[in-house]
Amino acid sequence: MPGQLARSGGPGDTRALPYLLIGPALFAMVVMLGWPVVSAVVISLQQLDLAQFFSGETVWVGFDNYREILTDSFFWTVTARTVVFTVVNVLLTMAVGLGVALLLGRVGRPLRLTLSAVLVVVWAIPQITATVVFQWLFDQQFGVVNHVLTSLGGDFRDHSWFSSGLSTFAIITLIVVWQAVPFVALSLYAAMTAIPAELREAVAADGAGPWHAYWAITWPAIKSMVMVLTFLSVIWDFKAFTQIYAVRGGGPDRSTITLSLYAYIEGIGKNHYGVAAAASVVMVLLLLGLLAAYLRLMVRSLDEDMTR
Amino acid sequence: MRRSRAGTVTINAVGVVLICVFAFPVYWMVSTAFKPTIDILGYEPNLWPSALTMEHFHTAVTRPLFFDYVRNSLLVATSTVLLSAAVALLAALAVARMQWRGRRGFLTLVLIVQTAPFEALMIPMFIIYRDLGLLDRLPALVLTYFIFTLPFTVWTLRSFVAAIPADLEEAAMVDGCSRVGAYVRVVLPLLWPGLIATGIFAFITAWNEFLFALVIMQTEDRQTLPLWLSSFRTAFGTDWGGTMAASTLFTLPVLVFFLAVQHKLVSGLGAGAVKG
Repeated sequence: MPGQLARSGGPGDTRALPYLLIGPALFAMVVMLGWPVVSAVVISLQQLDLAQFFSGETVWVGFDNYREILTDSFFWTVTARTVVFTVVNVLLTMAVGLGVALLLGRVGRPLRLTLSAVLVVVWAIPQITATVVFQWLFDQQFGVVNHVLTSLGGDFRDHSWFSSGLSTFAIITLIVVWQAVPFVALSLYAAMTAIPAELREAVAADGAGPWHAYWAITWPAIKSMVMVLTFLSVIWDFKAFTQIYAVRGGGPDRSTITLSLYAYIEGIGKNHYGVAAAASVVMVLLLLGLLAAYLRLMVRSLDEDMTR
Repeated sequence: MRRSRAGTVTINAVGVVLICVFAFPVYWMVSTAFKPTIDILGYEPNLWPSALTMEHFHTAVTRPLFFDYVRNSLLVATSTVLLSAAVALLAALAVARMQWRGRRGFLTLVLIVQTAPFEALMIPMFIIYRDLGLLDRLPALVLTYFIFTLPFTVWTLRSFVAAIPADLEEAAMVDGCSRVGAYVRVVLPLLWPGLIATGIFAFITAWNEFLFALVIMQTEDRQTLPLWLSSFRTAFGTDWGGTMAASTLFTLPVLVFFLAVQHKLVSGLGAGAVKG
């Protein structure tokens, strides 16, 4: 009897085993990504305000929610603002990150170790911590930045950094870039250290200047890493929420509301869940091309990985 | 490449400036936390504290509900770690050790979920949790963080499993172990470093997360520590000493954990997933 059991469950069992093993993960991923995506579309076609939220009633309104946001000039302002915010933050992050990575390769050993350690610490700082700390640094009355700028000859006594949209965005950008640079710099530096020393020496022996050496050796070695990091940064910065929300909740006067905050404020703030879902769908669509390009890149490296 | 002496000095000087710029906010957080209030609210800020005090830490931890927040955070983070590890471990074994149809498709799905912009889906997720009766309940947060951390955990454990020689299990199977027995007795004990690294990653993710905690948890005594930290400023106005002590307390475990496993996680996709 036991032998029979083992035999009947034998080869079939082995064939089914991998599917049993991935079962829970597969189920979780399909349901937890698929359901919100489908339901974003479904909710965006409904009127779902506070009344419907509590009664559970379904009211279909076709594309009314899309019409509402797409004809609202504020929505377009927010969309344009989000794109500009993303571009500025990504460019700054990549430029500073690349600069820091190049510097890491050229400073003396003690400085390199210290700088790497500092970068790792900054990398570990949670977003909400960074936001709170920068609010303290730029505090109107007792913030150290105002003191230092005043003592350097400017008049920054009681200067408020959060009274205009542009200035608030500048602080938010500072927080985002300060936190994002370590990961970019350390990744690029790691890619650079993979360049064989003989290659550098050969190019140096040819009498090449630093620019030529950079384009001939360093750039090809880090190009794909730069691409991956840029993609990731765009995705992260486009949907940034914590820093923007915690700094001024989209203020002053709605001037730092980006798409994530728009969806949050429409949905959770004003209980217009249908409108907020339409904004979510637009947001995902805007990201989709980029996500697809990034995934193609990742799947290609996955294929290389699997054939190896 | 020979460099001039002046060039080397300039580069090192820039290096020192960068160290100061990056380190200063962290230093200012910790030093403010230990400074007497008189130093914090003085018109000339002191770079070094004139004396060290624990009063701000006392203020922070004696705020109402502090231990509720801590308990919620610990509960959510540990549950996320356990759920993620259990589900991912099974999948990682299948992916790293067995040949089966659909393996590539499965790994592609892992990458898709890894990259998915869940933050943009907060509204439908909010409505789904309402339908499931999970709004304002910790399991909703655990499920959310589980799906945030699952792809990375599968991906990373897969490479840890692949690094263990298959001969070891085969030898165990020759000795009479079943396939599952071989995994439990041979692979699992060797997998601890990978489980610890991915577990810490999941813990940090759950510990730090702000948006979904804000959206899903509405009752104060059910919220997690990031909301506690953000509530400080509004509730206390300008008690910067207390706020910085709270920030320091909140960040310390993350920092310790992160430094412990950072080198294990820095590689390709893995590194990408560890941000914030």
